[in-house]
Amino acid sequence: MLRPQRPILTVSMAPHVHCGRTIKGHMGETIIALMPAMVMAAMVFGMDAVRVMALSCAVAVTTEALCNRLAGRDPAVDDLHALLTGLLFACLLPASAPWWLVTVGSASSIGLGKAIFGGLGATPLCPPLVGWAVCRISWPKAMDTNTTMLGTTLPDPLQQLKFFGTDAVASLDPMALFTGHQLGGLGAVHIAALLAGGVFLLIRRHIAWEVPVAFIAGLLCTAWIYQLLDPAAHAAPLLHLLTGSAVFGAFFLATDPASSPIGRIPSLIYGLMAGVMVIIIRVYSIYPDGVPFAILLANLFTPLLDRIRPRPFGGPYTLTQEKEDQATCVKHCG
Amino acid sequence: MTDFSFSLLTGETGPLVKGARPDRLRVPLQGHRPVLAEGDQVLAGTLIAEAGDDRGDMHAPLAGTIRAVDRFAMLIETTDDGRAEPQAAPSEGGDILRRWLRSMGIDVRPLRRAPVLIVNAVPPEPGISIHDPLLRDYRKTVDLGLDTARRVIDHSRLFLVAARGNRANAFADCTVVHVPPVYPNGLDPLVVRAVTGGETLPGRHPDNAVILSVRDLYFIGRVMETGRPVTQTVMTIAGQNRLVHVGTPAGFLVAEAGGGVEDGDHVILGGLMRGIPALNIDQGVDKDTTGLHILSKTRAFVPVDGPCLGCGECERRCPARIMPGMISRCAEFKQFARTETFHIHSCIECGICGYWCKARRPLLQYIRLAKYELALLRSAIVPADTPANDQGRSRPADTRPEKNDA
Repeated sequence: MLRPQRPILTVSMAPHVHCGRTIKGHMGETIIALMPAMVMAAMVFGMDAVRVMALSCAVAVTTEALCNRLAGRDPAVDDLHALLTGLLFACLLPASAPWWLVTVGSASSIGLGKAIFGGLGATPLCPPLVGWAVCRISWPKAMDTNTTMLGTTLPDPLQQLKFFGTDAVASLDPMALFTGHQLGGLGAVHIAALLAGGVFLLIRRHIAWEVPVAFIAGLLCTAWIYQLLDPAAHAAPLLHLLTGSAVFGAFFLATDPASSPIGRIPSLIYGLMAGVMVIIIRVYSIYPDGVPFAILLANLFTPLLDRIRPRPFGGPYTLTQEKEDQATCVKHCG
Repeated sequence: MTDFSFSLLTGETGPLVKGARPDRLRVPLQGHRPVLAEGDQVLAGTLIAEAGDDRGDMHAPLAGTIRAVDRFAMLIETTDDGRAEPQAAPSEGGDILRRWLRSMGIDVRPLRRAPVLIVNAVPPEPGISIHDPLLRDYRKTVDLGLDTARRVIDHSRLFLVAARGNRANAFADCTVVHVPPVYPNGLDPLVVRAVTGGETLPGRHPDNAVILSVRDLYFIGRVMETGRPVTQTVMTIAGQNRLVHVGTPAGFLVAEAGGGVEDGDHVILGGLMRGIPALNIDQGVDKDTTGLHILSKTRAFVPVDGPCLGCGECERRCPARIMPGMISRCAEFKQFARTETFHIHSCIECGICGYWCKARRPLLQYIRLAKYELALLRSAIVPADTPANDQGRSRPADTRPEKNDA
């Protein structure tokens, strides 16, 4: 029966049509969503911010290529995930970050955050946050805008809140905070630009609404409860939302596809947990901004939350093991 | 690729066109046992292979000579006209009628006694409109099929399920249920749910209900009318519905529709979401083939062997509320028993997960592979002719579950 067939057909399994989306497109559009914040960072912090972003991206892509080579995989830098990870990490850094800090952080984002767990899709934690946590714990001074950015007139509301109390931040104009007139991560403080990017991601359906909405709701509610308990000691909910990397975390970090849960209810719980944790960390811990740690902690709950599932179609079912006896033999072999 | 729509609206469909006579037929055998061999002469309607189960026997669609027989197909070179004598239908109902229908090539697996009969008139997939001309122009035959089915099923209630916006004239004393005209609402498990409200595990018969499509009724009616076995199928080809002989090569149908196939093209028997790919253009259509599509190399979706991103898009779109992504990850690493914890048996194989997968993974293929391997695993049968050292093959992968689940 073997004879050359003309024409030779391609055989592939159903479905034979596709929505046309790719991983590269997903990553590319997330980078586009970050564009406004990047432009704002360049405008507010100048070439320093551009330097940090460029270095972080370059190191991330190089590390990814190296890790792929070490693991004997096909190079996967063209899916843009490494570039996006480098960019997200840079957005969390102060514009004053020295080159070695950027290099170490960006390399550990990819190496420790992604490659060590098996690459794309296998990351239990949001990769840029792993790099951030390494830097924040190892070199707290270099990550601190209080000690490195003395030459600026911009306020750092969360530092002031932590060390000088609510009076120090009472005079801050929410509108100015909204447009990014504050210190913090170089990309994470441009709330308006990030919101625009987040809405773009939501419209393009790259992220689902559950995580950002639950995150912001959890953050606002917890802050509101604390303010009710003691208005003198705790800042207003709006201030908590408009400072630090709250909005950045809600739209870009907590929604990381691999490390966030999948279903609707798990996503809502996950977002709420992260949002609540932000305020708890901001109130009680030594770290002014609780967002990265809050999201890392929520990431750890993802496998647990993914167990909350709706009832499968037709109910749960397990194929029973047939006995290896004569009757089965006759049934299958005739 | 992106102009594909999930809409099941069929609009205006033309009349049912009768296909021309191909000079060669490749009749597919699905577990059928051939009763004739190479070189035998057959008439149209001669029994050529017996079904192993209730699928229905296979008969020669046209008169001719059997040129080749293998496990999967029987090649018949058609010669001249010549038809086997029609047979008289039994006057009894119930099991006698059921067995007779089976011998006439009807798939009688769904035919059981049940209080409810559901007639599915929803297109199974986008772009397939086979039910429309049958309901409209062959009303008498369909009604006869319904009466015959009643003699076996003995139902007391009748439902007709149609897509909202498509034309469907009700039968006598039946309830019409409309479903939204969106794929996958035409698939049997979802149609049953739309009527009874209960969910049946895919691949099982619903409790207290029987589901038949308009096409099934039409062919039962045809058998009763003519006394000749079913050797045809209805296919939507390029928007036109055709009555095609089983075994007609795909290439013949393409040529008839005025198309052409080039190297690297995909020829799909069935719809674009669930259809099976033809291995070559000589492959014959089967009794349950509903359509024919040709996709050029650039338009067709070819999955890639990439990692799962974990974005959850498949899970959000899944009508069976399962996690195709996790199932595919388990199947990828041969952890087939573990796919059951993600409820693989609930999958209705609609292909929607693969359509939306950003990583372009062959999700449906992984699911089918895992189902197949699970069936092997659980049947625990070592075929008698397997050499001793090869026995491990029938129980792959999951011999050390502790290690896999760690």
